[in-house]
Amino acid sequence: MVDLQKYKKIFIAESGKYLKELDNFLIRVEHNPDNTALWKEIHGKIHSIKGMAKALSMNNITQLSHAMEDWCSLFQRETGKVEPGVIQLFFDGSKLLKFLVGRNDEISDPENRRWYADLVSSFRGHPSDLLKNAKYLKAGLKDDTSEKIDHIRVKYSLIEELLGYAQETLFLEKTLPPLSRESTALKSWIDHYTSMLKGLYFRLAQLRLMSVGDFSELFAVTIRNLARDHNKQVDFRIVGGDLQADIALLDRLREPFIHLIRNSIAHGIETAEERQSAGKTPMGLIQLEAGKVGENLCLKIRDDGRGISREAITRYLQNNRSMTDEQIAGLSDTEFFGTIFDTDFSSAAETSDIAGRGIGMNVVVQAIEYLSGTITIASQPDRGTEFLIRLPVSLSVVYTITFKIGHYMLSIPTANVESIDQMGSIGSFKKNELYDLGGRLGVRKDKEYSHIMNVMYPESKNSLTSGQNQIKFAVDTIIGNKAVMVLPVGELLAKTRAFGGVGIMENGDITMLLDPGSRLFDSFTDGETL
Amino acid sequence: MEYFTFKADDRYWGIDAQFVHRVIERMPIARVPFVPACYLGLIYYRGELFDVVDAVNLLSGTTRSVNRKDARIVLLKWNQQKLALIPDEIIGLVWFDNIKGDGTVYSHKNLTVQIITPAAMWDLLSELSYGRSSKI
Repeated sequence: MVDLQKYKKIFIAESGKYLKELDNFLIRVEHNPDNTALWKEIHGKIHSIKGMAKALSMNNITQLSHAMEDWCSLFQRETGKVEPGVIQLFFDGSKLLKFLVGRNDEISDPENRRWYADLVSSFRGHPSDLLKNAKYLKAGLKDDTSEKIDHIRVKYSLIEELLGYAQETLFLEKTLPPLSRESTALKSWIDHYTSMLKGLYFRLAQLRLMSVGDFSELFAVTIRNLARDHNKQVDFRIVGGDLQADIALLDRLREPFIHLIRNSIAHGIETAEERQSAGKTPMGLIQLEAGKVGENLCLKIRDDGRGISREAITRYLQNNRSMTDEQIAGLSDTEFFGTIFDTDFSSAAETSDIAGRGIGMNVVVQAIEYLSGTITIASQPDRGTEFLIRLPVSLSVVYTITFKIGHYMLSIPTANVESIDQMGSIGSFKKNELYDLGGRLGVRKDKEYSHIMNVMYPESKNSLTSGQNQIKFAVDTIIGNKAVMVLPVGELLAKTRAFGGVGIMENGDITMLLDPGSRLFDSFTDGETL
Repeated sequence: MEYFTFKADDRYWGIDAQFVHRVIERMPIARVPFVPACYLGLIYYRGELFDVVDAVNLLSGTTRSVNRKDARIVLLKWNQQKLALIPDEIIGLVWFDNIKGDGTVYSHKNLTVQIITPAAMWDLLSELSYGRSSKI
């Protein structure tokens, strides 16, 4: 029995993952109904859920997923069979599966039970019969709590406290009294104990982290539903989703993001017909791009819609700010479009032709400013609109190549490291190309360097995508590729303008993250001015 | 009022006790380049980073302490700011109520104690030059 319970837990966790992936594939297949490869993926997800449910004798889930699988097989064999409404039926199926997984396969409410029976019988029929007797889920399922099955709410301060205790316990190791020779068994036990503690500490630290990809996935279904409501076709893409950020930070971004996305779909992206007549692909694109620039987390939300009407902003500036045409012409794009963030722009816009475009934008700004971030906007007629949000990263985990030069434990993000070579493998004439990082750090040369690091970094600090620069320097010792928690540098160290953050390694040691784009790597060594 | 009193380079200093967050045993301090001489490095204590500063060098302007009697680290917190200080010797909490206009006070042992706020120390620190190679 105990094993079965454990297996059920695994089932819930695994199915949650499959269902999330299923939704993503459904969103994609909706626009490519004849893509047999996508149907194969969908089939695979449903099949996995069925397999586990069957092993646990969860008959409702088994029956429903079995019926859904039949259609998947059909769509893989023959194209042109995906009738309108089929995808919606699959979404309903996914929703019911989610519901059942969270409720241990039980349906008690009679209304829910009826929906279930209708859905299964729809799937058991032929897709071509769908139009005749389609029965979609009209409202949400009763007591639909299964969505959040893999999350629990924990007070943030508790996590902080736990971290504090874990660290304190770790430090006890340093006060370990000397052990006699005979106590080697005890010694190895303590070593084991400490290494377990270190693992615990690092995992606790990660409780505060979430990948931007997971965060963005929260929007996938919202986007699909909004697009359907507005009769638009929208593809959602995530770039840089591996980046992790503080969960508290991301949570605060949820509302502003939904707002920006809603605006994009409602007002930015045109209908398929409008797009085609403008020479665009019928499907609009919303892209969320995450990246780290220096110490900032940058999130860019971009759509390829019609852009923001310059006329409406101009009219607003003339009427509400009494600005002359020359004054308006003198504004930079950032200032000009920034107008829509004004508190009173929203209400003024309500009666204009861009109604809704600005509504509540000031609320978005407030939310971002609360996080001491900034938001800027760029827009081009018919090309689209782009919101760039910059946030100070209070905490994130990155992989870094950690090395020592003199007393200093330093790190460079692994993503920036092109290669690491043994010192001996480089001919002497090539040594001239090396940047004297040791000298720049003021480290006296007392021993041979061991390795050469070859680092790539973007040319411009203010862009996520730009040219690359390269720099090579020698290091004393390579510590390794380490996952480090990144904390912002304090006020004092920020004055050095050399560090991208302070890294805490798994064992609690501190390493300074060098910012490859900073003046540290500028060739001049005066160090007085930037 | 109660003051946290310590010794740095033969002089006595007092900090309003409410700003002393904790006094901890010596722990490894991570060295940091490009900092002034008084800046010893960073410690990560209970999920927080502290800049660690040599009290002698900061307050007396002389070189680093040579006659340090105890290596304990004093963690200060005030106005959402924080700083770790390493004095030569910790005297302890002392009650002073007759602070003179120049911020000094005589303790019962007839020693002159200079009262200083963490904010003033921070200002001293902020005025120093950062970004030059530290000489080791």
